[in-house]
Amino acid sequence: MTDMTQPVTPRKTRIRWSALADHAVLILGSLFMLIPLLVVLQTTTTTDIDTIKHGPQLVLGDQFGENLNKAMFKASGFSGENTGTSMLMNSMILGLGFALGKIVIGMMAAYALVYFRLRFATLAFWLIFTTLLLPLEVRILPSYEIAQKMGLLNTYTGLIVPLIASATATFFFRQYFRSVPEELVEAARIDGAGPIKFFVDILVPLSQTMIAAMFIIMFVFGWNQYLWPTMITTEESMYTLVRGIKQITQDLEGTNIPEYGRANMLALIAILPPVAVVIFFQSWFVKGLTESDK
Amino acid sequence: MNKFKITTVAAAFAMTANVAYAEVEISWWHAMGGALGETVNQIAEDFNASQDDYKITPVFKGTYEETLTAGIAAFRAGEQPNVLQVFDAGAATVIGAKGATVPVQDLLIDNGVNFDINDYISGVRYFYADSDDKMIGMPFNSSSPILYYNMQAMEKAGVTAPKTWEEFQTVTAPALKAAGYTALSQSHLPWIFTENFMSRHDLPFATNNNGYDGTDGTKILVNNDAIKAHFTAVTEWQENGYFEWFGTGWGDNQTPFEEGKVAIWLGSSGSFGGLSKKDLPFDFSATLLPYWEAVTTEPKQTFIGGASLFAMAGHDAADNAATAAFFKFLTSPEVQYFWHKETGYVPVTEAAYDMATKDGHYDRLPAAEVGIQQLSLPAGENTKGYRMGFYVQIRDVMNREYGRILTGETSVEDAFAAIETEANALLARFAKTQN
Amino acid sequence: MKRAGFSTRWLPILLLVPQLAIIAIFFYWPAVHAVQSSFYLQDPFGFGSTYVGVDNYADLANSGEYLKIARFTLIFTVLVTFFSLGLALLLAVKADNVIRGARSYRTLLMWVYAVAPPVAGFIGLIMFNQSWGPLTELARSVGWDFKLGVNFNDTATAMVLVSVWKQVPVNFIFFLSGLQSIPKAVREAALIDNRSATGRFWDVTFPLLAPTGFFLLIINITYALFDTFGIIDTLVKGEPGNNPMTLVYKVYVDGFRGNDLGGSSAQSVVLMVLVLALTVFQFRLIERRIHYT
Repeated sequence: MTDMTQPVTPRKTRIRWSALADHAVLILGSLFMLIPLLVVLQTTTTTDIDTIKHGPQLVLGDQFGENLNKAMFKASGFSGENTGTSMLMNSMILGLGFALGKIVIGMMAAYALVYFRLRFATLAFWLIFTTLLLPLEVRILPSYEIAQKMGLLNTYTGLIVPLIASATATFFFRQYFRSVPEELVEAARIDGAGPIKFFVDILVPLSQTMIAAMFIIMFVFGWNQYLWPTMITTEESMYTLVRGIKQITQDLEGTNIPEYGRANMLALIAILPPVAVVIFFQSWFVKGLTESDK
Repeated sequence: MNKFKITTVAAAFAMTANVAYAEVEISWWHAMGGALGETVNQIAEDFNASQDDYKITPVFKGTYEETLTAGIAAFRAGEQPNVLQVFDAGAATVIGAKGATVPVQDLLIDNGVNFDINDYISGVRYFYADSDDKMIGMPFNSSSPILYYNMQAMEKAGVTAPKTWEEFQTVTAPALKAAGYTALSQSHLPWIFTENFMSRHDLPFATNNNGYDGTDGTKILVNNDAIKAHFTAVTEWQENGYFEWFGTGWGDNQTPFEEGKVAIWLGSSGSFGGLSKKDLPFDFSATLLPYWEAVTTEPKQTFIGGASLFAMAGHDAADNAATAAFFKFLTSPEVQYFWHKETGYVPVTEAAYDMATKDGHYDRLPAAEVGIQQLSLPAGENTKGYRMGFYVQIRDVMNREYGRILTGETSVEDAFAAIETEANALLARFAKTQN
Repeated sequence: MKRAGFSTRWLPILLLVPQLAIIAIFFYWPAVHAVQSSFYLQDPFGFGSTYVGVDNYADLANSGEYLKIARFTLIFTVLVTFFSLGLALLLAVKADNVIRGARSYRTLLMWVYAVAPPVAGFIGLIMFNQSWGPLTELARSVGWDFKLGVNFNDTATAMVLVSVWKQVPVNFIFFLSGLQSIPKAVREAALIDNRSATGRFWDVTFPLLAPTGFFLLIINITYALFDTFGIIDTLVKGEPGNNPMTLVYKVYVDGFRGNDLGGSSAQSVVLMVLVLALTVFQFRLIERRIHYT
C-alpha cells in the first residue's frame, strides 16, 4: 500500500470504500459460520448445571479437561468398548473405506461408460444414474434385511458397502473424463497403449485433483452417517462418533441432568477430523471441482 | 455329502458343548441413553456377577422408536435380540403380532419361576397384558404423571397444591399469578392430558374394552365432552396467564419450572431423580394429578408411561431360560429398589415398594412416593390400559392438533373432530395389517 | 458419446460389474420391495397383511395434512435454495475481489461443509434454546418473541437458517471456483466496457456463472428435499407435533418411527418418481450445456 501517503483522489476513495465493504461482508459471513462453533466450544468448558441454568456465556469455564476426559475415555456403553477413541477409529474406518470404495468403483464405472463403445451403454447409464438422489432413509428397512441375509451385520463391509449404492462419484468422474481432451486417448492408442495402461498410467494421474476433491466429499459424507450405522451395528466396539453423540444427546430430553459438556465435546471431536480434511485439502478440493465443472 | 455330515456333527457337538460348559449369552436391546443407560448397564453387570450360567449384554439402540424398528427389522431377519424394550405407544404393535414374542407370564412359568400377577403394583399390572389378563410384556421403566410444585411459590401465594382442577382455576392459579408466577406447565399433552385424563376420570378411551379385545372395529373415544371441556379450560388458563405451553419438547416445558418462573409442573414421577440433582433455587414437592370434580368424585389410578421388556420368540430353550432368569433377577425387590432409587421410575412390585418403605426411602424423600401412590389408587373399569395400533401416529396427530389449539390455529371442537377422524382411519388401517 | 474409445469387449463389462452389482443389491432390490409393499397394509413383524390396491396412494392424495406437508416442503426448498445460493454467491464475489486474507476467508467460510447434519441440528438447538439460546435472546431483544417448537413459523425459520448455514459453504466453494476460472482477459475487457461494479456483475460475471448456478440449483434442491433430514429430526426433537416437516421426514415418521410399512412405502414411491423426474431434468440440462460449451 504505497499510495497511502498520496493525495486521495475521489476515484481511489470509492475503490477503497468498496474494498472495505467487501471485507465487511466477508467478516460478517465468517462470523455467521463461526459463532455457533464458538458457542459449542464455550459449553465444553463449563459444568452441565451451569449450562442448563445460564446457557452459553461470554467467559470460558475451567471444565474443558474434565469434559474432554469424559468424552474421550468414559465409555457410554456396556462393554466399555465405545469410548471416544474407539468411536473415532470406527468413524475413520467408515469415512476412509467409504471414500476409497466410492472412488475406485466410481472411476472404474465412469471409465467404462466414457471410453468404451457398449451396446447397453444407455441402459447402464440410466441404471446407474437413477440412484443419484434417492436417500437411504426411505429404503432403509429392506436394505437392512438384505444386509442381514448377506451376513453383513456388525461388519465394516456392512457398514460401508450399502452406502456406496449411489452413483455420485461415478457421476462426477464421468463429467470429468468427458472434459479430458480426446487427443490424449488417440495419442495413447498410437503409442500402442491398451485400455488398462491408458487408465493406470495416464487417466488416473491426470485425475489427481478430481480424486482429491471426491475424497473430501465422500470422506465427509461417510463420516457423517447416522441412521445406517445405528441399524447395522449392535456391537459397541463398532459404534461411530455421530452415533455416539446421539446416545448422549438423547439424554437432553430425558429426566436426568443433560450432559451438555460431554455431548458438545463429542460434537466437537466429531466435527474436527472432517473439517481438518476439508481445510488441509482445500486447494485440491477447489481445483478438482473447478476442473470437473468444465 | 460326507463333508456336509461332518460339519453338521461338529456343529451339533459345538452346540452341546456350549450348553454344557459355557454360559448362555443373551442380548437386550434398549433405548436408555445417558445416565439411564449407565444404570441399565449396572443392572446387567450385577446380573452377570450374580451367577455363572448366563450372561446378558445390553445394547443401546437409539430412541424408543429406533429401538422398536431395529427389533422388528431384526426379527424379520431372524436376528432378534432375546429381550427388546418397547415403549407404551408401541405396545399394540408388538402384542398384536402374536408369535413375535413369548408372553412373559408363560416364559416365567415354563422356566419354573413363581409368577403371580398380583405381586405387581395394581396400576402396572395389566398395562402390557392381553384381554385375558395374561402378562405379555414385563413392565420395566414405569412412571406416571404427577404434579410437582415449588414450595416457596405456594407459600408466597398462600395456597397449597390443588387437588382438583376446579380448585386450581378458582383458587391456586389466581393466587400464584398475583404472586408473580405462571401457575402451570406440563410436559406431554397426549400422555398427561389425554391418556391419563381418561384413566384418572375412569372414562373409556376406545371401544372394544379400550382396544384390548381386538383390532377389528376399534374406535377411539377421545371426542367427548369431558376432555373438550378440559381443553377449553386450558385455553382459558392460557389466556389468563395461568398456563403456558412450550412445545412438544419435554425439557422445554420443564425448564421454566426449574427456573422458578412456573410454580406447578406436571411431569413424570421418573423426573424426580433428575430434579433433585439439579440444585434448584427452591424446595419442591409433589402430589397426585388433579381431577375435575365436575366429571368424577371418585378419581382413579393413572396409566403408566415408559416402556416394558418383551422376550422375543424364536430362541431356543436355553436362551429362554436365561431370559427368564434375568426377568426374575430384574423383578427382585433389591434390583427394583435400586432402579427406583437411581432413576425415579416406580418399582413394579409390591415387595420392592415395601422394601423402599421399610428402608425409609420415602421418609427421606416423600415426593418419591407420589407416583406409586397414584398407581395404587382404586382401579376403575377403564384404568387397565389402552391398546391401539399405530398409536405412535395417533399421538403425533394429538400433538399436532393440541399444538394448533394452543397457538390459536384451530378450535377445541375442530381439533377433537380431526383427532377422532384421523385416529379412526389409522385404527382401521392397523386392523387391516393384522389379518 | 462420440468419444474415441477402446473396443475391448470384456473390459468395460468387468469395470461396470462392481458398480452395477452394488446398486442392484442395495438400491434396486429395496426399491422394488418398496413398490411392492405400497400395495399392502402389513404387520411390520411379517405376520399379517392385506392387499389394498392403490388405497395407500389414495389415502395420501386425500390427506389434507400430506398436502400441507408437500406445500411446506416446496416453500422450504425454495427458501433454502434461494438463500444458500444467494448468500454463497455474494460471499464468493466478495472473496474473489479481495486480495488480502483471501485464503483465511475461504477457510473460514468453507469449514461448516464438514459438519454432520444431526450435529448441525444439535448446534441449532443450542442457538435457539427457549430459555437461553443466543439467537432466541437476539430475536427477543428486537421484540420478536421467538419460540422454537411452539410457533410454526419460528420453527420453520430455524430450520431454514440451520439448513442454509450448513449449505452455504458448498455453494461458496463452487461459485468461487467458477469465478476464478473466468479468464483474465474477459475480466479486463469487462472493466473497460463497464464502469459500475454492479453492472459488470450482471452483464458479464453472472452469465458466465450460470452453468455453475444451474448445476448448484439441482444440488441444492436435492439437499433441501433429502439431506436436511438430520437437521429437521434434531430440531423437532423427534416429536413432530405441530412443527413443520418435509416429505422425506414424513416417510421416516410413518415408516421408521410408526411402522406403517404400506403407507410409508407409498410415500417413498411418490418421492422416487419425483426424484426420477428431477434426475432426468438435470441430465437433459447438463447434457445440453456440455453440448454448447
